[in-house]
Amino acid sequence: MDLMLFAPEISLVVTGLAVLLIGLFIPTDSKKILGYLAALGVLVALFFTVSSLGTEATAFNDTVSIDALSQFFKIVFLVVALLFTISGIKYTEGNSHTEEFFTLGLFATIGMMFVASANDLMVLFVGFELASLATYALAGFEKKNAKSLEAAMKYFIIGSLSAALMLLGISYVYGATGTTSIPGIAANASVLVGSPMGLVAVVLLMAGFGFKIALVPFHMWAPDTYQGSPSVVSALLAAGSKKMGIVAALKVFVVALIALQAEWQTAFAILAVITMTYGNMVALKQTSVKRMLAYSSLAQAGYITMAFVVLTPMALGGGIFYALSHGFMKAGAFIATAAVTYMVLSENKDSTDPDHIDNFRGLGKRMPVTALSMTVFVFALAGIPLTAGYMSKFILFSSTIQSGFVWLAIIAILNSAISLGYYAKIVKYMYFLPTDSEKVSEPLPYTVAMIIAVIGVLAIGFWSEPVVYWAMEAAKVLVGGM
Amino acid sequence: MAVENLAFLIPVLPALAFVLTFFLGKKLPNGGSIIPITAIAISFVISLLITLKLLANPEEVVSQSYSWFAMLNIGILVDPLAAVMLTMVTFASLLIHIYSTGYMSHDKAPSRYFAETALFTASMLGLILSDNILQLFICWELVGVCSYLLIGFWFEKPSAATAAKKAFLTTRIGDVMFLTGIIVLFADLYKMFNGTIPDGVFILRFDEIFAHIPEIAAINSTILGMEVSHITLITLLFFGGAVGKSGQFPLHVWLPDAMEGPTTVSALIHAATMVTAGVYLVARTFPMFIAAPDSLMVVAYVGAFTALFAGTMGIVMNDLKRVLAYSTVSQLGYMMLGLGVGAAVGAEAVGISIFHLVNHAFFKALLFLCAGSVIHAVGTHDMRQLGGVAKVMPITAATMIIASLALTGMGIPGTSIGTSGFFSKDAIIESAYLFGESTGTWLPYLFSIAAALLTSLYIFRLVFMTFYGKPRTDYGGHESPASMTIPLSIFALLALIFGGLTAEKFNTFVSETFVNNFVHVDIHELATLGGYHLVEHAGHEPLLVLWMPLIVALAGLVIAYLVYGLKIVNMDSLVSRNNPIYKLLYNRYYQNSIFTNFVSVKVIYEGFAFAGRAVDRGFDWTVKWFSDLAIESGESLRQFQTGAVQNYATAVITGVSLLVILVKVVMEVL
Repeated sequence: MDLMLFAPEISLVVTGLAVLLIGLFIPTDSKKILGYLAALGVLVALFFTVSSLGTEATAFNDTVSIDALSQFFKIVFLVVALLFTISGIKYTEGNSHTEEFFTLGLFATIGMMFVASANDLMVLFVGFELASLATYALAGFEKKNAKSLEAAMKYFIIGSLSAALMLLGISYVYGATGTTSIPGIAANASVLVGSPMGLVAVVLLMAGFGFKIALVPFHMWAPDTYQGSPSVVSALLAAGSKKMGIVAALKVFVVALIALQAEWQTAFAILAVITMTYGNMVALKQTSVKRMLAYSSLAQAGYITMAFVVLTPMALGGGIFYALSHGFMKAGAFIATAAVTYMVLSENKDSTDPDHIDNFRGLGKRMPVTALSMTVFVFALAGIPLTAGYMSKFILFSSTIQSGFVWLAIIAILNSAISLGYYAKIVKYMYFLPTDSEKVSEPLPYTVAMIIAVIGVLAIGFWSEPVVYWAMEAAKVLVGGM
Repeated sequence: MAVENLAFLIPVLPALAFVLTFFLGKKLPNGGSIIPITAIAISFVISLLITLKLLANPEEVVSQSYSWFAMLNIGILVDPLAAVMLTMVTFASLLIHIYSTGYMSHDKAPSRYFAETALFTASMLGLILSDNILQLFICWELVGVCSYLLIGFWFEKPSAATAAKKAFLTTRIGDVMFLTGIIVLFADLYKMFNGTIPDGVFILRFDEIFAHIPEIAAINSTILGMEVSHITLITLLFFGGAVGKSGQFPLHVWLPDAMEGPTTVSALIHAATMVTAGVYLVARTFPMFIAAPDSLMVVAYVGAFTALFAGTMGIVMNDLKRVLAYSTVSQLGYMMLGLGVGAAVGAEAVGISIFHLVNHAFFKALLFLCAGSVIHAVGTHDMRQLGGVAKVMPITAATMIIASLALTGMGIPGTSIGTSGFFSKDAIIESAYLFGESTGTWLPYLFSIAAALLTSLYIFRLVFMTFYGKPRTDYGGHESPASMTIPLSIFALLALIFGGLTAEKFNTFVSETFVNNFVHVDIHELATLGGYHLVEHAGHEPLLVLWMPLIVALAGLVIAYLVYGLKIVNMDSLVSRNNPIYKLLYNRYYQNSIFTNFVSVKVIYEGFAFAGRAVDRGFDWTVKWFSDLAIESGESLRQFQTGAVQNYATAVITGVSLLVILVKVVMEVL
């Protein structure tokens, strides 16, 4: 076995442990270095992953497979991890637990990456739990902040429940097919067709993944947790951990349980429509920007879920492409919110809701880079042309129409129109509402992270060809067995 | 490293300068003007080096393409045509930027000015460098936006805001035609490949387009009962774009109004560079035009008519800048005519026209900058209030006279003594004569001769009214600072000698644009396709034809001197509201009143506004209903989110149960 195949994971593990160890021995003041180290580790991992695009291999007795799909999603996770670590440098400034923050973030990323390359339900489950446990702790990182603790608690309880449901689903599948290997299940899944056990297993697994993807009605933790957690962590949750649910669902449903297509396709159609509509409608009335972004990411998850309904290679490629775009836009939006939160808190230490939309008033004058980046992100989320969001929606929706699901495409497009209502509201607050507050300096790490995300959003939107190519390659991995 | 590899920097540097100036300009002295000046200076050096290299070996053009998406690419092409344009634009832009540091020193927002002019320069250079028609169009639109921003630079002045809108909307008409042309072209080319385009073939790149001209020419459509070849259709649509951008009749109306912007903007955009984009477009796609029956005739007629038509209005304007604006329109007409005569002289037409374009850029920029210098010093641009300015501003007056001599094309035929304009304008008029001989239509030639008389008349009228005699009002004045007079002197030098120095080399150099390692076009073969009969060799015109332009130019000078210098005729009797001809000219043939005030504002605007309002209300109502519904449902759905985690867990379990039942039911029903 070629260890180089795991170079990205290994570099993250090494960085994570190094950060943890070094953190023990250095004073709080100099812990900033840990953030740089973590970001460097992620960059190295990203480099290894990008350079191994196109490799195909399996390892550890076929329980892990490296292919276009796994590498593409690893890139998504690493991009989010990069934004997370860079902005974390500012967020953890002066915090004595800095090393834990970065190590947990890196370990969560490793978990996600293992899910992406899992070829066995056990590996998938362990990766899932590794990511979950690390993010539970991250959500409660502000130990003195009741909101953060509440967010972590809710996330943990619902997370455990969902893990139990997922494990139950896996055990049904194992019981019927006698294997946990994904190709093995695909070969034997015919025994589940038409049986009540198959249906129950599908729904249980869907609940397990739906928790991470935040599909209605398994989403209820998401708004509370995204709002309560530190914004930087919300970025990791919404942009990274959500995609883990998607890649897991892709592997389990589209590859392993393709025989049960009829059952889960229907279920996903129902969930997709409910999720996007619910997310967009509720987002309209939010006054907390983080909560609004949480509901917006419900809606976005609804769009991505359409890929499971349409199931053509183009739609799946579109969904996978969407995952990357969403990684940039959503992480960027949360980091922009983090910058605003930082600004509000540095002005008034006791502010209870620093992400209230009123704090975005006149941001165009106060924090021009943040405001401009935020504008790019929300426009991308709304699907305005020349951004990554537009290309993703274009591919996904047009493939939906091509396959005859016109009704679904119409619902999705109407939803996009509604979503502009709350996205434009943020822009209105930033540029058109006056404020008498002073211009403030923008923290550099946040700015760097935002600029990377803006470049990502615009570059993918403008020069989407190579990304679309790899997304389609990834989709081919999925439908190879179809 | 070879200098060709730096070609991409030519537009990129000014673009970077735009970003830097936009964000940092306010903090730097003088609006951060040093940033664009440095960037454009480097671009100029690169352009000049590439041009010199090309001059030695015109067949080795610079061409770099990258796949953009599908069958489209972005890329750069520096062939002789592009090279001379690049050098001219960077040079003029550089001098005008330097001049602007003086001119805009009293302005409130110099950083915005320099950012916008830098963006304009970047877009214009991008336009010139484009190796495909789509990229050219994108930059074409960008220069349009910059022109809009800069005309409306003093947007707090209502007239400036209106002029900006008018310029944008009028050129829009042309832009839409241009885009339509691109779409037709794309559809035709796409069909030729039967939808399967091999990798590395970019169908909107010029070499690909030119290679398929005969096939495009073979496609016919029936439009309004007439059988039209697609090559004619496409070229005429392109020409429509050029008419809008280059202020040709009947879309020239925006250009005189565009003088509301700062004078430096008029010099840069509305004299030297942007307005020549239309000419450049026709020159760039010249192989298509020459293969299109009738297209070049249309170009020649529109050009010649515009030259004359604008000249007639130039002689009655009282505003310094407006006279120059009509002069620009008129000279652009000459350039178009220069391309149109390609029906007789073939590819040489491109050389003739671009030669005039470059010379014009120098002397017209100079005229505008001189006018700017006067306006800067005395604060008015109404010629009736000026007079005797030469005494207070000797350098400005001297350069202005040189520019006027260049504009009228003073020089001695048969020798190489003469101003820049002499070499290029006379070449166009002589080619128009050949065009007459070849096609049997003499109108373009007659128009161009008449326009030459008018040119001389209006420009010397301006010179005598402004610089000679006694001051008519009590204006204080002083010579402008060195940052302004030095660019004036450099331009004046070029206006004086550039034509004479390069006359022999220039035409052959630019005319070779279509035979090199990028494209290889047989103009003669294409001309047969277009049904044009090319004249083999020029130069055997009667002596009178050679001397004619000079004779009329001198006549104009003499008349202007007699009337405005010696005042032997009392102009007051002629210049009155009772004189119908004067009235017609002064009101610009009422085209403004009819087009703008009646057709555009009353009929189209009011009509659309009425229809729009009705439709709008319907939409409003629907959208409002829909959004109310959405917001209301959002509000009620919010109630589900109780915040109690046990409810969340219940929701998960209920969700699982319901989903099982729902899927079961749906599966049974379907």
